[in-house]
Amino acid sequence: MSELKRTVLYQAHVDAGADMVDFGGWDMPVQYPSGIIAEHLFTRSECSLFDVSHMGRLIVGGPDRLKFLQKVLTNDASALEIGRAQYTIIPAEDGSAVDDAYLYRFTDDRCLLVINAANIEKDKEWLLPIAEGFDCFVSDISGETGSIAVQGPRSRDMLSSLKGGEAIASMKRNDILSLTLEGRSMMISRTGYTGEPLGYEVFASNEDTVWLWGKLLEMGAKPAGLGARDTLRMEASMPLYGHEMGLDADGKPMPIYAVFLAKFAVSFAEGKEDMIGYEALAKQHEAFLKILEGDHSLAADLPRRIQPITLLDRGVIRAGMPVFKDGEQVGWVTSGTMIPYHVIEGEGKDAVFTGSTGKRAIGAAYMDSTIAEGDKVEVEVRGRRLNAVVSKTHLKNSKIPYAIPVING
Amino acid sequence: MNFPAELKYSKDHEWVMMDGGVAVIGITDFAQDALGDVVFVNLPQEGDEVGMGEAFGDVESVKAVSDLNSPVSGTVCAVNEAALDSPESLNSDPYGTWLIKVQDLGDTEELMDAEAYKAFCETVA
Repeated sequence: MSELKRTVLYQAHVDAGADMVDFGGWDMPVQYPSGIIAEHLFTRSECSLFDVSHMGRLIVGGPDRLKFLQKVLTNDASALEIGRAQYTIIPAEDGSAVDDAYLYRFTDDRCLLVINAANIEKDKEWLLPIAEGFDCFVSDISGETGSIAVQGPRSRDMLSSLKGGEAIASMKRNDILSLTLEGRSMMISRTGYTGEPLGYEVFASNEDTVWLWGKLLEMGAKPAGLGARDTLRMEASMPLYGHEMGLDADGKPMPIYAVFLAKFAVSFAEGKEDMIGYEALAKQHEAFLKILEGDHSLAADLPRRIQPITLLDRGVIRAGMPVFKDGEQVGWVTSGTMIPYHVIEGEGKDAVFTGSTGKRAIGAAYMDSTIAEGDKVEVEVRGRRLNAVVSKTHLKNSKIPYAIPVING
Repeated sequence: MNFPAELKYSKDHEWVMMDGGVAVIGITDFAQDALGDVVFVNLPQEGDEVGMGEAFGDVESVKAVSDLNSPVSGTVCAVNEAALDSPESLNSDPYGTWLIKVQDLGDTEELMDAEAYKAFCETVA
């Protein structure tokens, strides 16, 4: 077995007493001594730091870079202005996903594509041969710089109170800013993978990453590991490659439009004609629109979709468990666990944390497209069929600064 | 890590307290630490038979589900409802949170004393 890679924050994790695990070849913290539940709750009420230095990072440049990106990504890269970022998917010819990604346009002449750590080699094997047909370059800078996700209601105040950070306060979602914080140059984007209304990702040199981690801890943020990162994204119904994208429990590729977020990540605008998988995606899109209207005439092009589900009986649902309706299997759970929440009254600035917490067994399932929000289904949990309900959402995050849990059933 | 001297321990990281003819069973400090946040516990019902080395329930953390294997065979005579209602107490107080009590004991696995179990944990840690 090859040596696990370490991020620049490795020593900080070990010193903090983190449980370290192999994640895509990196030695990463899964949780700190406070535990996943406490880390999850602290992110929702205060501010957590996540080491995301392990994420794959590819720089795309050269005269034909836009043509290349329009071919290998689902979103419209030509609509991405300097200083903005967009969620996007790397499509395969059959309309399934090779990976999902975030595209950042820091400067005029080059873009940064952030991909899943576990998929770096696979994505490169896919992208590099295609890039050879264009006058452009793709260079892998994974691991060369550090990155910290700063997520939660206090993240904006913390970052903008640093010297030189005033402009952070007015950043909009998906904005990117190059700035000098306390004399150190950094790139910051208002993005994240927690579902928090306020969250940022900072890219910095190795030295400055270590400095910022320590500085934000001093200011009252706490570290959170991969465990909480997973429960937070699950509560926010955000897809994870290998669960909501890639192969289903039967080993078949899942269509990109099975994920609701595809609605915002796939573009058929002018200039997208050469996109890989265009035809398959166009068919899925048409079926998707009809299914949302309750019309299943095109369901053959999108037979199953991923929707949030809530367990009504006592128990825990987990990825791979079969889902039934009226005695027939209709799909599988793609992600699920027991997830904690704060009991909050009101929302936005008027939100009041009551001080009590709860927990709920929630997740997502890949099920026949005929299944709709509000439908009762059953999940087979180690031989027993437990009642569950298809839910619209588990989390409401439209108002700053707090994400509000939506309790279903 | 805590290893109370008055208890006996199994290789599956359960503790056993013999109380007359009744075995009181729970999970050890080492087990709860390895599991992480416990969020759900499945236990048998009073009157159920359990077999030595067989699963009598399971304990779920955020990360995973693990079987609870019985170190004894016999009949379940009590189930700790408090553990079902607040499974997090397995993390905060593993030796104060028993799971089941078993009577009419048949076979009993060879159990370790605190010192032997502590040494055992060091070999698997």
